[in-house]
Amino acid sequence: MADTVKITIDDIEHEVPAGMNLIDAAKLCGVDIPVFCYHPKLGHDGNCRMCLVELGLPRKNRETGEMELAWFPKLETACTQKTCEGMAIRTTTERVTDARRAVLEFLLSSHPLDCPICDKGGECPLQNLTMAHGPGTSRMYWEDRMHLGKHVALGELIFLDQERCIHCARCIRFQEKIALDPVLGFDMRGRKQQIVTSSTPGFNSIFSGNTTDICPVGALTTADFRFNARPWEMVQVATICSHCPVGCNMSFDTRTDRLAGGRTTIRRVMPRQNEAVNEIWICDKGRFARHYMEHEERLTTPLVRKGGMLVEATWEEAIREVAAQLKAAGPNIGAVAGGRLSNEDLYALQKLIRGQGSGDLSAYLPNATGGEIAARFGVGVGTNLKYLGAGDAIVVVASDLHEEAPIWWLRAAAAARRGAELIVISGRETRLDVEASQSIRCAYGAEVATLNAMLGSLPKTAVKAGESLDGMAEAIVHAKEFTADAALKAAAKTIAGAGNAVIFVGSEGLTGEASRELAQASANLLAATGHVGRANNGLIIVWPSANGQGAADMGFDPGFGPGYQPVDKPGRSYGDIFAALADDVIKVLVIAGADPVYDDLTAEESIRKTKGFIVVQEMFLTETAKLADVVLPVQSAAECEGTYTSGERRVQRFYPAVEPLGESLPAWLITQRIGEVLGQGAPSVSAAVLLAEIGRNVPQYAGITCQTLAKVEEQFPDVGGEDLYYGGTSFQNVRGLGVQWPTLAEQVDAPLSVAPAQAGEVLEPADGEMIVVPVTLVYDTEALFFKTQLLHQRVPLPHIGLNPADAGRLDMVDGDLVSLTIDDHRVAAAAYLDERVPSGVVTIPRRLQTQGAPLFATTAPVVKLEKVEA
Amino acid sequence: MTHILLRELDIPDIGKMEVYLANGGYDGLKKALSDHQPDDVINIVRESGLRGRGGAGFPAGVKWSFVPKDVFPKYVCVNADESEPGTFKDRQLMENNPHQLIEGALICAYAIQASAVYIYIRGEYWDIADHLDRKIAEARKKGFIGKNILKSGWDCEVYTHRGAGAYICGEETALLESLEGKRGQPRLRPPFPASEGLYAKPTVINNVETLSNVPYILVNGADAYREIGEGDSPGTKIFCLSGCVNKPGNYELPFGGETTFRKLIFEMGGGIPDGKQIKAILPAGASAAILPATDEVLDTPIVYGAFRAWGTDIGSASVIVLDEMVDIAWAAKKMINFFSHESCGQCTPCREGTYWLSRLYKRMDSGQADAGDIQTMDAVAAQMEGKCICALGEFAVNPVRATIKHFPEDYERAVGNGRLSRR
Ligand SMILES: Cc1cc2nc3c(=O)[nH]c(=O)nc-3n(C[C@H](O)[C@H](O)[C@H](O)COP(=O)(O)O)c2cc1C
Ligand code: SF4
Ligand code: SF4
Ligand code: SF4
Ligand code: FES
Repeated sequence: MADTVKITIDDIEHEVPAGMNLIDAAKLCGVDIPVFCYHPKLGHDGNCRMCLVELGLPRKNRETGEMELAWFPKLETACTQKTCEGMAIRTTTERVTDARRAVLEFLLSSHPLDCPICDKGGECPLQNLTMAHGPGTSRMYWEDRMHLGKHVALGELIFLDQERCIHCARCIRFQEKIALDPVLGFDMRGRKQQIVTSSTPGFNSIFSGNTTDICPVGALTTADFRFNARPWEMVQVATICSHCPVGCNMSFDTRTDRLAGGRTTIRRVMPRQNEAVNEIWICDKGRFARHYMEHEERLTTPLVRKGGMLVEATWEEAIREVAAQLKAAGPNIGAVAGGRLSNEDLYALQKLIRGQGSGDLSAYLPNATGGEIAARFGVGVGTNLKYLGAGDAIVVVASDLHEEAPIWWLRAAAAARRGAELIVISGRETRLDVEASQSIRCAYGAEVATLNAMLGSLPKTAVKAGESLDGMAEAIVHAKEFTADAALKAAAKTIAGAGNAVIFVGSEGLTGEASRELAQASANLLAATGHVGRANNGLIIVWPSANGQGAADMGFDPGFGPGYQPVDKPGRSYGDIFAALADDVIKVLVIAGADPVYDDLTAEESIRKTKGFIVVQEMFLTETAKLADVVLPVQSAAECEGTYTSGERRVQRFYPAVEPLGESLPAWLITQRIGEVLGQGAPSVSAAVLLAEIGRNVPQYAGITCQTLAKVEEQFPDVGGEDLYYGGTSFQNVRGLGVQWPTLAEQVDAPLSVAPAQAGEVLEPADGEMIVVPVTLVYDTEALFFKTQLLHQRVPLPHIGLNPADAGRLDMVDGDLVSLTIDDHRVAAAAYLDERVPSGVVTIPRRLQTQGAPLFATTAPVVKLEKVEA
Repeated sequence: MTHILLRELDIPDIGKMEVYLANGGYDGLKKALSDHQPDDVINIVRESGLRGRGGAGFPAGVKWSFVPKDVFPKYVCVNADESEPGTFKDRQLMENNPHQLIEGALICAYAIQASAVYIYIRGEYWDIADHLDRKIAEARKKGFIGKNILKSGWDCEVYTHRGAGAYICGEETALLESLEGKRGQPRLRPPFPASEGLYAKPTVINNVETLSNVPYILVNGADAYREIGEGDSPGTKIFCLSGCVNKPGNYELPFGGETTFRKLIFEMGGGIPDGKQIKAILPAGASAAILPATDEVLDTPIVYGAFRAWGTDIGSASVIVLDEMVDIAWAAKKMINFFSHESCGQCTPCREGTYWLSRLYKRMDSGQADAGDIQTMDAVAAQMEGKCICALGEFAVNPVRATIKHFPEDYERAVGNGRLSRR
């Protein structure tokens, strides 16, 4: 522990960390000092005056020269004090209890006391602290209260009850200090002071929901939950967010009731504390985009194509049909799996396909690869971005973190504000650049060259740490072929000199091969400078989905078997799989939890053209499912159990929260039933048993079991217990913090090597052409996400991003129709002029319009459309 | 007596640059720059015993000495927010003797080595702000402002900044927030402005009247200044006399000695109109506790701390006289409404307490109050005490508790009766 000091609380001496906030320190000693405005993540503001204590500090007696304890004449706010040697406080004296009673009486004097209909009732700090410290009655005349707005929409997601607000400013401070979207503020003054939003649309922040957790009263409620259930009626079921690779720990709060026909339904999603992953926050996508799980369009029975139509069938029939097709096809089969599938689903699927003799397994989206590099040079066990600060470096390359992995964005930005060097390397400016200490623009396709140049620019002394690694000498010689300008040299120096360094490896615009090289280049740079094999060092791949890392770990990578074990014969890549399908070389393709037809024109063409058999495992009749021969309805992550592996390689467990819909089954079970028919053995009895099998066959997962995943330990700050006033309603984590599996670099004498990273081609547009880059938005029209009506207003209209200078050249203004022709296919959308799009480039949001964005960056002719053609 | 501050009473055109210069104007600044190191200037002001005239009476030189020497840039803020009810002295100083303020502020800036002076002036004084801007331009033309002032190598700018009409922005840290373009809400202390003030840089904030004293001190020396006034209240004070008095206005009198409320109200102010009896005095607008106008009070020589036994002080010396016709509960209601309206709303006791009190007074006014409500008023005010972020919340206690203490009969009369008014 850091330096400690002795402080006295109510005549008992304690040893606590020096310079710690007094509220936190007292809590460590088991002493609760009530607070409303202080929050361990937000720091102090000193406005509520609930934390008043008697305070004494040692002072030198002028006459005797001796140190003596001098008590302040007035009560002081504990939240504004930092611990120091000899500090003493009294928290139980009459003066203190009187002050607490007084502050509560003041707060309640204007409170509506509508607890019986308040969403916070039952988990409300104001209720709880009133019970503990407050007056039983109020001397305020009821009719003297100020009457204010009860349903003020700060946006369509968050509602404000002005009467309940106690003006603690936690919401404002969260938005300013943590979400970095300062869109809330106070208007007016005195008792008329009110929370208002300053943005259009209202409360424009993808982290807005968190304010409802830390609001100490029911003033802020979400449109999703308000008047939806009482806190005490709900059962909390631990889960993991399935929207992005951060792997936020969450809770499905469920209720069984008559309104839902006696079913158990999810009433809200709440964050669950995991200080190493999401602390106590989640983004609004994680919180609100859950409605697909209980959506009426969910598939509830298997569908089999008969006479050209998909018709309902029994499981037996569907499975028999699929098994028969697979059997007939022999090894000429393949699978494409989305990153929302659990490790168990993925493991079972690869086992089925490999069991039939094929290695044609690809993850979807296919842009991000390099799992095996993460397995060697990923961030070390115990990594916590919270500990990165001054003296450390974070590099984000080829990723728009704010859109792709919101909580990582938030934590990387926080590290930068703590003093970490944040280096952003990308083809265009993103929101993270605002927080960056160094912004490096490189051409699309030049990402590897950029990292190579950085490595090559380092003097021998700076790369000593990696000297002895196999292949490092060659990698450095290769890297020296690339030239670094002053900015790159400076960035390289920053990384080499950093205490800790982490690289987020993105894949914006990249092909799978290119992103693998980028991961390699990142690994080389980190390994050369000694930033691998320990906590808070290494790389993190920004997978395009929640379980991208798990998919790679389970062998959804043509080059590797499960656990990156070598394969005799490499399988086909994503592109080759669809090419082989089109050519009828692949005769059965299983597409699980992925909707390539929605994004990828080539995939659609292949599926339409092939005589082969298409099996889709899905929750909905997606664009892909519509073209399938058999559609197998799977359960959502709320209905079954399983594990996800986050981008930081933390394996985390989710639990079943609600009953399965219709006849849907867990994806792994469907797969194993098919395997059973094919003679691959009986299905596992549970996902847990399958996880144990994974532990036996995937070396990295050895020892990972449901039990180890369910382990918890005390976290700081300790939120979510009985003392809701302290941290808010983010839940205490009682169902497991997960297990981060170690990289090879952390193991002694492991066969570790690097290799030169091959730079790809920089795209060269021909005359009249521009570079077209698919980009990811946090809110899009992807099938599952778009089922949540609540977020529709936040999804932008289809658009194509264009630099104003290029627009000028094309004689276009904002909103004009722009058209691109990619491989004979035309995409048209409104031009969105954006300075941050580099000249010569257009950006197309992925999954924002059907048949739109290309999978990888490409070049295409770009023209202005004069008018919409009929 | 000749005036130190309201010099236009002796020299009518002192506001004009030539007249000001002809009467020793800017000599203080010249002397400071040519004869003294910055620290010497601080020492002179400290030795003069000059105390802040904005309300708290903190020794100006001591405040300046808290400014760290090695942090730059530093700033001087002139508090010209003048928003205490009954205060109207700063406006007279700025209207009639502006160069003396500018000179005083520059001397302060030189003493702490500040690079800019901001005059934060209440928005309602827009015309005075324009007037000051013109005077600042004149001073710049003469080389008193700008680069290399009087060839000393020291640069300093002077700006005016208009407030938007909030009493709280007169509180020095709220003033800083407002000046930075934020909501005018007081800051937590520590850190104090001397170490982290405007834009988190060392800053001295002084009232207009405080700084207007400084040129005199530089020219005549600390000892000469100490000869005026009494004890630890040296110099003169401008008393803003208003209320039930025949000749309201600003009166500059030396501290102590013959300066008493009796002299101020009955000699200078010409007594109470219509032959009425004086009942009470508000010595510092709405902020300080009310004084019953007893002979003892009327004859106490006025210095800082003279009225400590009554639990009050002279603050900015905005003296409001109340005669026998005034219902003190009515006066208290007006004051509490003022505080309720002006509370910034940041901290619980002040935001809720002032509102609650204003409702109780409203009740009393409408005849709905009972004897218990008077107790509640006193208790609500009492439980605000000592719990607020800034002094406004503490000020708001005074009109309630002191009036109930000294004039219980006015409250008792209102019970069940209502219609608080100036009878
Ligand atoms: C609510 C409140 C309002 C104040 N208003 C003023 C004001 O209008 N003018 C002023 O000079 N000081 C005002 N003050 C006092 C200032 O906070 C500060 O003490 C003063 O500007 C310091 O200058 P001085 O030392 O020269 O008096 C106010 C204080 C409070 C708490
Ligand atoms: S809305 Fe909630 S968090 Fe925001 S100031 Fe009011 S009580 Fe505090
Ligand atoms: S940051 Fe990612 S994992 Fe976390 S809640 Fe948002 S989408 Fe889910
Ligand atoms: S005491 Fe009143 S004016 Fe001062 S900070 Fe608190 S609420 Fe604002
Ligand atoms: S003032 Fe300390 S917790 Fe609010």
